[in-house]
Amino acid sequence: MFREEAGRLTATLVRLLGDFDLAEEMVSEAVVEALRRWPERGVPDRPGAWLLTTARHKALDRIRRDGRYRHKVEQVAALTGTAGRQPDDRLRLIFTCCHPALDPDAQVALTLRAVVGLTTAEIARAFMVSEPALARRLGRAKHKIVAAGIPYRTPEPEEMAERLQPVLRVVYLVFNEGFFTTTGPAGTRRDLVDDAEWLAALLAGSLPDQPEPLGLLALIRLHRARWDTRLDGQGRLVLLADQDRARWDRGRIASAVGLIERAAALGRPGPYQVEAAITALHCEAPSWDATDWPQMLGLYDLLAAVDPSPVVRLNRAVVLSRLEGPAAALAEVDALAGPLGRYHLFHSTRAELLRGLGRADDARRADQQALALTANPLERQLLADRVTVPGAGS
Amino acid sequence: MKYVLLLTRGAWQENGSDRERAEVFDQIGPWFAKYRADGTIVEAEQLGEPGTATTVVLDRGGSTLIDRPLLEAKEAIGGYAVVEVPDLDAALALARSFPVPDGKVEVRPAVEH
Repeated sequence: MFREEAGRLTATLVRLLGDFDLAEEMVSEAVVEALRRWPERGVPDRPGAWLLTTARHKALDRIRRDGRYRHKVEQVAALTGTAGRQPDDRLRLIFTCCHPALDPDAQVALTLRAVVGLTTAEIARAFMVSEPALARRLGRAKHKIVAAGIPYRTPEPEEMAERLQPVLRVVYLVFNEGFFTTTGPAGTRRDLVDDAEWLAALLAGSLPDQPEPLGLLALIRLHRARWDTRLDGQGRLVLLADQDRARWDRGRIASAVGLIERAAALGRPGPYQVEAAITALHCEAPSWDATDWPQMLGLYDLLAAVDPSPVVRLNRAVVLSRLEGPAAALAEVDALAGPLGRYHLFHSTRAELLRGLGRADDARRADQQALALTANPLERQLLADRVTVPGAGS
Repeated sequence: MKYVLLLTRGAWQENGSDRERAEVFDQIGPWFAKYRADGTIVEAEQLGEPGTATTVVLDRGGSTLIDRPLLEAKEAIGGYAVVEVPDLDAALALARSFPVPDGKVEVRPAVEH
């Protein structure tokens, strides 16, 4: 609840004060006050309004002490318990944090800090950078927003599609980091996946005529529906092909499919929608073997048309192996060695195909290369098992 | 807000034929005229060839001269414009509309005292 309320409050105060640091500081102080008082005196009837009032008083005190903000006093004083309820404020905040004039890494950090409400320490941990370094990155970005005149506004309809791209990318990155961490001891971080889902829901809810946020929300929700089957009883990774489909969350899947249909009705396909459709097809298949592979290949062709990246071609090759056999797929994959030579899934996919062709030694070498390229403990464990147990998985 | 747009000399200016350069200047001229007329551009100048630049180095009371521009030839500044627009988005949109085939535009806010 604090995240929801704090995000709204920060958004409202940033709009009025034009100052990230001050807004965040006031909200943090209000939350601290709440944590101190509520356990003693009970949670107020309308906690959000209480927080806003408290943050407002603190902001007013500060503003009165600091001449720079004098002209803001009236605006803050006029704030009532209902201000900040408009999703507009938070939307404006997201678009400001993800402004293309800011460094992409700073966009992610700033969104997690200002919109999601993670602490600097939490963000630094999630992305394995030192806290002072992250604080500097955030400080520089916040300073640039004010000093360079980055506007605090929602983009106009004609620029929305372009401005949405970095925003969706930030949400997708947060999701990916939660789905498979790239650093740190935890293999997965459900909290980051939930943060990403929350952000995607906020975007989809605020921009109902934009199909890609719906696609991204559906994509995250589908992966979330399979979450409990991704690890076995010993905490080891279970691949999609081997997951217990009876335990997938059918309610979440149905909700996500509904989102994909709503997005499709808008008639503007995009990479997140297609990726969601691919994931939905997996989620609706009774088993790995009974998956509708011809339709899957069609979706990958569509995805490659809107996102012609080597990673998409790599995943398409996996589907191709189901339809035309591992030799045809291996030829496709080998052609990607240039751009993907440093990508662990390139090597583990090759290994899988080589095993299918009975080339166990080559497969083990490819898995060894994959192992050297990933820091994720779950993937490392899976690959290490394959490397040490000849023939495993074939 | 006031911004300074620093315009680099693109390949069209460094290596283009006289005719090519003339064609680009035929586009640039009306662009400046339009935004001067509506008050967006406060002032602007085209700079002479980088080879005509002299750099003065000041150092605690002394000074020396260097017979070249500040920046490497690849990024040489070809001109600048001081513009008055509401925010960075407006300044970036203006920079994006600068009608040259290639080049860079640095957009930097002016510090207003």
